Amino acid sequence: MTVVFDTYIPGASFLHRLDPRAKLWATFLCLVLVFLLPNLLCQALFILAIHIILLAVDIPIRVLERLWRQMAVLLVLILVLQPFFSPSGRLLVALGPLWLTSGGILRAMELALRTAGMVFVTCALLFTTPQPALVRAFVKLGLPYAWGLTISLALRFLPAIQDLFHTVRDAQAARGWVAQGNLLKRFRDYIPVLVAVLISTLRMSDQLTLALAARGLESTHPRSSWRELQMAGRDWAFLAGVTAAFGLFVIRSGFSP
Amino acid sequence: MINVENVTFAYPALQPANAPLPVLRNCSLRIEEGMAMAVMGPSGAGKSTLGYLLAGLAPRHTGGTVSGTVSIGGHNVLTTPPEIGTVGLLFQDAATQLFNTSVEDEIAWGLEALGLTAGEITQRVEDALTRFDLVTTRFRSPWALSGGQQKRLALAALWAMRPRSLILDEPLSGLDPRGKAEVMTAIEALRQAGTSLLLTTLRPQTARRASHIAVLADGRLTPPEPAGLALQDESPLIASGLIYPSDLWPNLSPVVTPGRSVPAIEVKQLHFSYTDREEALRGIDLAIPSGQFVALVGPNGAGKSTFARHLNGLLRAKRGTVCILGQPVGSRPTGTLARSVGFLFQRPEQQFFAPTVREEIAFGLTQLGVPDKEARLDHVLARFGLTELAGTPPAMLGYGRQRTVTLASLAALDPPVVVLDEPTVGLDGRGLAQLLAWLSDLRAAGTTIILITHEMDLAHRADRAIAMERGRVTADGDPTAVLANDPAWSREL
Repeated sequence: MTVVFDTYIPGASFLHRLDPRAKLWATFLCLVLVFLLPNLLCQALFILAIHIILLAVDIPIRVLERLWRQMAVLLVLILVLQPFFSPSGRLLVALGPLWLTSGGILRAMELALRTAGMVFVTCALLFTTPQPALVRAFVKLGLPYAWGLTISLALRFLPAIQDLFHTVRDAQAARGWVAQGNLLKRFRDYIPVLVAVLISTLRMSDQLTLALAARGLESTHPRSSWRELQMAGRDWAFLAGVTAAFGLFVIRSGFSP
Repeated sequence: MINVENVTFAYPALQPANAPLPVLRNCSLRIEEGMAMAVMGPSGAGKSTLGYLLAGLAPRHTGGTVSGTVSIGGHNVLTTPPEIGTVGLLFQDAATQLFNTSVEDEIAWGLEALGLTAGEITQRVEDALTRFDLVTTRFRSPWALSGGQQKRLALAALWAMRPRSLILDEPLSGLDPRGKAEVMTAIEALRQAGTSLLLTTLRPQTARRASHIAVLADGRLTPPEPAGLALQDESPLIASGLIYPSDLWPNLSPVVTPGRSVPAIEVKQLHFSYTDREEALRGIDLAIPSGQFVALVGPNGAGKSTFARHLNGLLRAKRGTVCILGQPVGSRPTGTLARSVGFLFQRPEQQFFAPTVREEIAFGLTQLGVPDKEARLDHVLARFGLTELAGTPPAMLGYGRQRTVTLASLAALDPPVVVLDEPTVGLDGRGLAQLLAWLSDLRAAGTTIILITHEMDLAHRADRAIAMERGRVTADGDPTAVLANDPAWSREL
């Protein structure tokens, strides 16, 4: 079945209804914050706070669990490998040239938490904002319409191409195709599938060109916008609130650039 | 109003050294306001090209050379692109013309291009959703809709722009009877609203819905005739390979095979689900003896394709067992099962990868290591009339020929069990004749045939019909008895 690239989880919460531009700004500040948070405890509390917010806006807990599972490999890799790249503090074990140090372990844990923090902040945006709204926000913030359209088209056609891949693989398998052996052999075996997908993708893009032209993409007539984004009072209040909180944090923590 | 005068069109040649490929020759056609005209023609006749010309897309976006005039509302679209929103084109494969992330955004897109205000757009989006019965799908992704819904959405998006002319390229092809009825109702409403309509089709049943019919064959367009008159005498349509009426079909009745006791297919308590929520197959029990010809019928989403995909391991049972020729399917890979079960998929154009027709057909034979490969290839190429096309890239062929290549690929493997998923979709008379001739050969050879179809004429020719609904077998037995119940999905237009 198709992997759905649409990460949006419909809802009517405060966060869902916010203007996507306000959310983009808050996401940006939170991403900066992830790097400014001084210690492990703060990092962990920050991630906990994001969890509480997400649960409060009706994001199901299984979605958060799945996100952790998907990140697990990456986090474990960071925890296992990172200590050896940044030795500092007390030497615990020396494996030849590889030194396991207390500072290194601490660094690795920080990096793992930061990574998790960034993922959750970004997902908070994606879970509560439909992709078309996000694209509209970018266009409104100055991205040319053609770029915005390109992003929408990619979001629309990636699952289509993936479907196509499965269809073609099934069709080839039904004619006796089996991919087996080592990685290189497997890759070679996949060539007929990939060629078929490529041909169909090209055909699809031809049709898309015609479809866009048929509905007036190239018209010189100025486009209007159906869902004009409007910053409402609550959007401005949210914007001011997160900015003030961020400023306060920077001043209190004595951060100086 | 649409007025085509003396139009000749040719696509550029694949290789610059060759001559251009002529498609239309001195074609003329006139469609008044509120008139519906059907253009019938065998596959590859240039029906889609005619649509592209009328919509101002050819040769502007397709390349090629053109002469004559095509005027839409008094404006020659060959010299300057049509005013936005004056002419709408429904693509043969409607899914490819939908490019937004939700149904309502799809409808709004063209209205934004027209520069309407947000209020007007909301009004027209609501109207279109209601008129084309899409209100409940408004937030869904166009990609996730059924074929009938996709066509209706594409129509809704066009209609919302209030075009004075609409061109519909095979609007009913690939739809089940319910989808056909839905789309036909929508089209009829458009005609009554005063839109000039041109629809292309392979099927007389569809053409009959129009007021006039013109036939496009060998690049020439016959002068339009009133629908009743044009279809009175079918012999020219049969001769040009456009249609193949069922009373001319070859004999597909049972050929008794000497007693093989092992059933070809034996399925016990088969359960399958794509998601945790709902089961797509809820306990299927079937035994199909070797050499039987079985028609699998039922509405879209009944689980017919899902069931068929278990027979060669493309899907694996969640519970229950599937045995082919006495051997459980178990975890045997699909590539291995291909020796026993051949599968004809829908959408042949998606499967091609080889540089030539010959290599395309050879693929399965090579994969399965069949010893007399070259001899079989020559035989199959000749059998399906592809010998002269053996060196052509299959991706470059027209739909009908592509379908023939997929049939030939399957025939070359000559498996004891054959599963055909909607093999008649998009076939003209010539293609249908070829398919039926092959089926009749299979019958004579004692091959077991599982045929999924909405074509009730064909289902009636089987030894046995199995009706499925909501993941269960609801009727099983003699086709006359099974199909006589006349459930809504089996009613042809």
